Amino acid sequence: MAEPMGFFTDTTVCIGCKACEVACKQWNQLPATNGGRNTLSGDSYDNTRHLDGIHWRHVKFVEQFSPDRSQAAWQLMSDVCKHCVQAACLEVCPTGAIIRTEFDTVVIQADVCNGCRDCIAACPFDVIGIDERTNTAAKCTLCYDRMQNGMVPACAQACPTESIQFGAIKDLRVRADARVNQLHSEGKTAAYIYGKEDMLGGLNSFFLLMDKPEVYGLPVRPRLASVNNVPSWLFSTGSAIVAGVMGMLAFRKSRMDARARSGGQEDPG
Amino acid sequence: MDGILVERFNPIHWDWLVYMAMFVAGTAAGAYLVAAMLEAFGRGRSSLARTAHAVAFLVLILTPVFLTLDLGRPERFWHMVIQSKTLMPMFKPWSPMSLGSMLLIVFSGLTFISFVDMLVGRGLFAIGPWRRDHTIHGSRLGLIWTLIGAVLAVAVGAYSGVLLSVTNIPGWANSVLIGAVYVATSIRTGVAALLLVQTLRGKEDTDLIALHSAHVWLIVWWLVTMVAFIGTLGEASRFFLFGAPLIAMIAAVVLGGLVPLALHFMTHTRSAALASTLLILAGGLLVRYAIVMGPQLVH
Repeated sequence: MAEPMGFFTDTTVCIGCKACEVACKQWNQLPATNGGRNTLSGDSYDNTRHLDGIHWRHVKFVEQFSPDRSQAAWQLMSDVCKHCVQAACLEVCPTGAIIRTEFDTVVIQADVCNGCRDCIAACPFDVIGIDERTNTAAKCTLCYDRMQNGMVPACAQACPTESIQFGAIKDLRVRADARVNQLHSEGKTAAYIYGKEDMLGGLNSFFLLMDKPEVYGLPVRPRLASVNNVPSWLFSTGSAIVAGVMGMLAFRKSRMDARARSGGQEDPG
Repeated sequence: MDGILVERFNPIHWDWLVYMAMFVAGTAAGAYLVAAMLEAFGRGRSSLARTAHAVAFLVLILTPVFLTLDLGRPERFWHMVIQSKTLMPMFKPWSPMSLGSMLLIVFSGLTFISFVDMLVGRGLFAIGPWRRDHTIHGSRLGLIWTLIGAVLAVAVGAYSGVLLSVTNIPGWANSVLIGAVYVATSIRTGVAALLLVQTLRGKEDTDLIALHSAHVWLIVWWLVTMVAFIGTLGEASRFFLFGAPLIAMIAAVVLGGLVPLALHFMTHTRSAALASTLLILAGGLLVRYAIVMGPQLVH
């Protein structure tokens, strides 16, 4: 197996140019929204709004305005599939369409996926959507085809500020920690890494954030969908046992009463 | 709830095909559980047991139709059980959808054999030693057969509820009791379907009267599971208790639970029995609608 690879996205240097989004669309031949008709969100300068089956990179515009709009703060974050080490989508996929590659990334094979949509429901980050051209689930592949040929993923290559950095996870983690220390030494103590090893075994796409995760639309403590698996089965079994015992006791008593009334004669039914 | 992302944008589009599939699979499972109970009481060849085998199989075969039509790529339905690239079996027991697909196949096969056995028992045809006076059901083999079937029936009744809990969708992911509600609903609707068919056929025997009595307790247990489910949701109850899902939930509890209970204690007429079973079946469908659609409609 090759070395685990991934992205380190430093949101402090993102300028919101969306070059990553365009490069991703271009390389992966993803269509425009609504067939290219101009569609404005109406409540944000960001018109992409979220990741889905045809938007595998998305620069989130976190627009924080005072009520009178005299003060404004912008947080920009190029969001992408987290390629979780413990991936909920991969865990639930019933067809084996979702695989872990030799680079420790998570890829959906479009020719295997049958569009059951269980992975969409399982993903804790709301990353996966349906590509309506194929009616299958789709998301970032971390440019698996480019990586197999020793190339840098399109988004990282296009990023003009090196907000998106691609490389071996162990190198990226060192670089990320150094960047956090640098920011802290400059008095920007809010800086932290989202997606360390204690989060789903580590996110292979991790982020340097300057505010709480929920500000960026990220879950504080993302969890595997399967945490509910065993308790759900146990409660289901308990429900069946209670219903079964109640039903059988009532059935038995009623039949015995009926037989007593008929002098022990069995109804042929 | 900070482990679950509340604001989500990518729709799952699990719609009427999904809750109909859950409803018919559950009803079939419930009917088979009645057949298993009758077998345990030595009534494996009774009219009610035969009806149970017929209902279980004929209702169950609708499930794969609904589920296949719901896929984005229905022609790839077989990818659920066979790996498309290696043609090896595809089975991930830790994935409720994968497990459910396998359960449906095995349970379908089992109910099919029971259905054929019912036809053989009625003298419609014979296959070698498998003939009218030598059937599976009503024998020791029938007891083992229905015991296996009962375990599978419970799993079929539960898996779709477990599947909803094993997601990160707010509402579903906040409860581990959906499977428990689904099992109770399945048994209840299975019993109601049998009571409906037998009442329409004009059957009235001790098995049917006893099943009516058992049904009362099953309705009570279903109400308990519903209260436990809603009561333990806490803040997440808002994903179910609004608009159409709320109306469906209330209608399910009142019309599909409380009214049939009242009817049972107030009157024993044929029309009341028919109305009661129809209400319970409708209630079973409504509760599945509310649980499946609530968290999807909330945004």
